[in-house]
Amino acid sequence: MADLVDSMLDLMRRLPPTRTEENVTALIGICPDYADDLLGSVDQPLKLRTDRATGKEYLACDYNRDGDSYRSPWSNEYDPPLEDGTVPTPKLRKLEIAANEAFDTYREMYYEGGASSVYLWDLDDGFAGVVLLKKTITRTTPHEPSGSWDSIHVFEAAERGRQAHYKLTSTVMLQLVTRNSSQDEDQEKGNGNGGGKGAARWKHEGEVSLSGSMTRQTEQDWPLTDPSSHVTNTGRMIEEMEIKMRNLLQEVYFGKTRDIVYDLRSVDDLEKARRQRELQKELVGFIKR
Amino acid sequence: MNETERIQAACSFLLQSPPGEINDVLNDVRNIISDDDTLHAGVLPALKEYNLTQFMTVDVPGTEHQSIVSEAARLEATEDGKERFVDPRSKTSFLFDHLTLEATASQPFEVDADCEPFRAALEKATISYLTAHFHDGVSFVFTKNGTANQFIMQIVANKYNPSNYWSGRWRSEYHIDLNENTVQGKVLVNVHYYEQGNVQLSATHDVSITLPAAVVTATPSAAAAKILAQIGNEEGRYETSLNDTYTEMGEKTFKSLRRALPLTRQKLDWDRVMGYKLGAELSSSKNMFGSL
Repeated sequence: MADLVDSMLDLMRRLPPTRTEENVTALIGICPDYADDLLGSVDQPLKLRTDRATGKEYLACDYNRDGDSYRSPWSNEYDPPLEDGTVPTPKLRKLEIAANEAFDTYREMYYEGGASSVYLWDLDDGFAGVVLLKKTITRTTPHEPSGSWDSIHVFEAAERGRQAHYKLTSTVMLQLVTRNSSQDEDQEKGNGNGGGKGAARWKHEGEVSLSGSMTRQTEQDWPLTDPSSHVTNTGRMIEEMEIKMRNLLQEVYFGKTRDIVYDLRSVDDLEKARRQRELQKELVGFIKR
Repeated sequence: MNETERIQAACSFLLQSPPGEINDVLNDVRNIISDDDTLHAGVLPALKEYNLTQFMTVDVPGTEHQSIVSEAARLEATEDGKERFVDPRSKTSFLFDHLTLEATASQPFEVDADCEPFRAALEKATISYLTAHFHDGVSFVFTKNGTANQFIMQIVANKYNPSNYWSGRWRSEYHIDLNENTVQGKVLVNVHYYEQGNVQLSATHDVSITLPAAVVTATPSAAAAKILAQIGNEEGRYETSLNDTYTEMGEKTFKSLRRALPLTRQKLDWDRVMGYKLGAELSSSKNMFGSL
């Protein structure tokens, strides 16, 4: 019943991104049989965990989960420990270690903090992987903005001779929250229409929350000179994709949604503008005569 | 999940609907629950709550303007359990179907003669404010608890553009109390942008204004104009401050989450990132992917 999954995904595209986890849990409760479909197609905020062996932070998601345990990319161990947890083949693990080191450098260069994790798994013809990046800014005072960025890049790599074909699906979840409050007095001083005694007093308080996710896909061929090429190839693809998506997010978050607010309410007096247009028309008509 | 919990979840989904998308959400929920009979009866209270809190606008038979369905417009249920809503401007009341969003059975409504002069003055001032600053707004002024000196003013402006994947809603509500000389208000702005994604703006703004004593003692039309000037001033400043918040989030928070480019102002040199040691180590295990 693909129809049902479509309805669930359509619903998730409409409900507030700030409540994704709660809503996914509710949907799984209603349709337990579709839990895997849902968890596989709805991206949720990444969870930060600490590797017990190395003390390094890593990111948990559906791709490094086995039962209730998550595998760390640094030690390759499951937490809580699993006797027979799924791990990559030794060859693929070698590539996974290299990829984790490379994307750790990438993370430091672009995020200057945060955490990253890369997980790889074998496929029938090649392998697949996920590159995760997350950074959070928590507020230290009540009115400082807070925010979080979660990147999820899922790719499939198929080798074709000296070439590799990559399919990449990237999702970025971005959340920004700002709280404001202020108090002031006397807004009418000196503007001439006061006429009365005493000033109006104001007090305001508010919150602005911008949150959501955007997803993009790409398919590309890259040359393979040695196994490590997979890391440099996916690295370049993901870097390019994140640059594109960052621009897109900037446009949508700070451009589009802002324009819609101004489409609802105009700061300028619309009536005045209407009258001015009328007047202009009359003038033009007058000159033409 | 048992039936009650499923209906509860369905209700929660409906109450989270973005502006103008309640029918889309309802269709999804209907498909997911796939039990129309239980669903209809179960979600009706949620649909009602959604309509009232979102200031649903409706065309009422016999009136030329749109009316608002909200808690302030709701009249006490009659003995037969029917709930009517009042449109004080056209002095009518009507029944509202929370599922089909249709108004029916409109009939004359007798307004409170003591409150009416000030209410009408506030409404007139509100409408001229509305036409000056809102592109597609609807506004009403209701009397509160039948007392002569308390009013509720509501504004709702919607823009739905499903073909370009966005929708937006601005709501304002002000409780005007002439006994206390106060205006307590709330502005709520919601925007949904969903082209290949799901991005939502949710902004709330609470305001309380203490009116100068001179405002309240003036004639109704002068006082109403004054009060609306205060409200308009406040909303204008709020919209400007919202713009500042956008700038701050875009230029500070967004930038400190992820840089546009590394400090070097260049993209990464991935060959160097991989390092010679790593590269060499991997190359020594050549043919690990067969064809190489």
